[in-house]
Amino acid sequence: MGGFPKIEVVYSTSHWLFPKIIIGILIILAAILLIQTIWNRKKEGKPIFCKKGFFVENYDKIKFYGTIILLILYVICLDLFGFLFTSMVFMLLFNLLYSASKERKSILTSVVISVVSSVLIWYVFGVLFNLSLPTGMIGI
Amino acid sequence: MLMHFVIALMGVLMGIIFGSIPGMTATMAVAIFLPLTYAYDMTTSLFLLLGLYVGGISGGLVPAILINIPGTPSSICTTFEGHPMTQKGEGERALKVGITASFFGGVISLCCLWLFTPLLSDLAIKFTSVEEFLIILFALSIIAALSKGNMIKGIFAGFLGVLTALVGSFPDNNKERLVPDFLSGDLTSGFSLLPVLIGLFAISELLEMAEKGMPHTNVEKLAKSKDAVKFSFRDFKGQIANVFRSSLLGTFTGILPGVGGSAASILSYSTTKNLSKHPEKFGTGVPEGLIASESANNGLTGGALIPLLSLGIPGDSTTAVLMGAFMLQGIQVGPLFITQNPDIWKTVLLALLLCDFLMFFVMFFPIKYIAKIIYIKPARLYPVIVLMCVVGAYTCNNGIMFDVWTLLLFGLVGYLFNKFGLSVPCYLIGFILGGSLEKYFIDSLKGAGGSLSVFFSHPIGNVIWVLIIISIAYSIYDNHKQKAKQKAC
Repeated sequence: MGGFPKIEVVYSTSHWLFPKIIIGILIILAAILLIQTIWNRKKEGKPIFCKKGFFVENYDKIKFYGTIILLILYVICLDLFGFLFTSMVFMLLFNLLYSASKERKSILTSVVISVVSSVLIWYVFGVLFNLSLPTGMIGI
Repeated sequence: MLMHFVIALMGVLMGIIFGSIPGMTATMAVAIFLPLTYAYDMTTSLFLLLGLYVGGISGGLVPAILINIPGTPSSICTTFEGHPMTQKGEGERALKVGITASFFGGVISLCCLWLFTPLLSDLAIKFTSVEEFLIILFALSIIAALSKGNMIKGIFAGFLGVLTALVGSFPDNNKERLVPDFLSGDLTSGFSLLPVLIGLFAISELLEMAEKGMPHTNVEKLAKSKDAVKFSFRDFKGQIANVFRSSLLGTFTGILPGVGGSAASILSYSTTKNLSKHPEKFGTGVPEGLIASESANNGLTGGALIPLLSLGIPGDSTTAVLMGAFMLQGIQVGPLFITQNPDIWKTVLLALLLCDFLMFFVMFFPIKYIAKIIYIKPARLYPVIVLMCVVGAYTCNNGIMFDVWTLLLFGLVGYLFNKFGLSVPCYLIGFILGGSLEKYFIDSLKGAGGSLSVFFSHPIGNVIWVLIIISIAYSIYDNHKQKAKQKAC
């Protein structure tokens, strides 16, 4: 079978051989997808760059961006203050963010949930299973 | 033994809770409870994980029947018959029919798992690296073929997953590729599987729910009328063929990689409707359709484990997560799995059987209490899930903060994928199999001195090529048919 092309596997550069093929395939697929989309939009008489909303209608801005900000801050603080303390604080913040109610009962529930869940998970993973949890630089 | 029983029971219960809450899936349940298995051996872990799997798939029927929202995608067709039954005051009967059908589906698929996995393993043992390479390619092509609507998008997602898996160093010559300089130390061994899994299936869901403002569906009190038909096992009279057909269809859909429970449910529901003597009654609350949907999605459980245990290719996203559990315990799934780990193989069968029974007893008798799960507010549950996700990611490699960042990164990736209509299961399967795909490709080439003809010179390999071509041809045909349908509307 002489008709087949050959690919020489050279030891020193072999780590790039397969990624290059995959990137090639991805570029071809992306090109097809792009042409398909443009083709369909043209056929339907829509502009190529139509402004279709990315978010669902009336999306909850506070909860969405709040979640992202809290997640990032949580991870940063874990590194600084250790697991148990940080988790209690952030679980409370998440609960307050999501339940969005100023009633005393609701806030009380938030406090209870955040303390109980943090302590329980810390106990099960950190003490019973003896797995390492973030200790933090200050170590609380 | 008692310990295993208790753990399986806990798994089933947690699974049912996750399955019953819309927006939370069986995959998510398995992913966030995976860290609990670090401290146990494989046997104990299996009881927990399979319990979560069976419970998670089964729990979906509760909200599907009671509030017309499928708890998991696999219960999508359950809503068509189950909810009309609830409106007629037969909610409890519908639930019990669904649970019984689920149980039969699970047991029948378990028999298939027991029979077919060794057969497929025996075949796969003869595979050389060429066939191994082609079978993964086949898996990726099937995923794409069955990602409804857009085949190219499916393949794209799959290969994007492969590319993600290649990040890090190549085992052959230990050189890094695709790694930005500033992450050189963190990404030497690539992205860890577990944070990627949890991110894709749990954090992305969290972001989606936050975007929608953590809605909580208000549930009306269950209407009860005294003359409503009560459940009896006679509901299954004349349905034996239906149960078997639907369970087997579910099992079969499970075997095909990347095809989830929703496909199983839709396929068997429509088949049952087409074969029924009174198709016009479907949609008004006939147990027949309910049985079809629920036995099919539980049929999936055993089916999806077949390719996982015999070929090392996960059959759906939940089994992809289970594969992660095997990897964490250092157990290689694939053609040699049964011969090398006969005890674990027996445990898989036993645990699955036990979990099916537990699911039945836990749901059937106290169904009135189980139904209350749908009152749990997602707003209260998601913070705890964040906590579990972070702990899981952090502890998977014994405490590395980079893994937690990976978790957040892939949460965002999963969220964006859903927004752009790219399939997350395709991406995940590409990611899991990407490393092996590269290894077998390079090994095949090395063995043949670099000639590409090696990929066409093996008899079994050529059969796989034919299958690949069939799956692509099918998807092109299917795409055309769907477009024609859309035009007709």
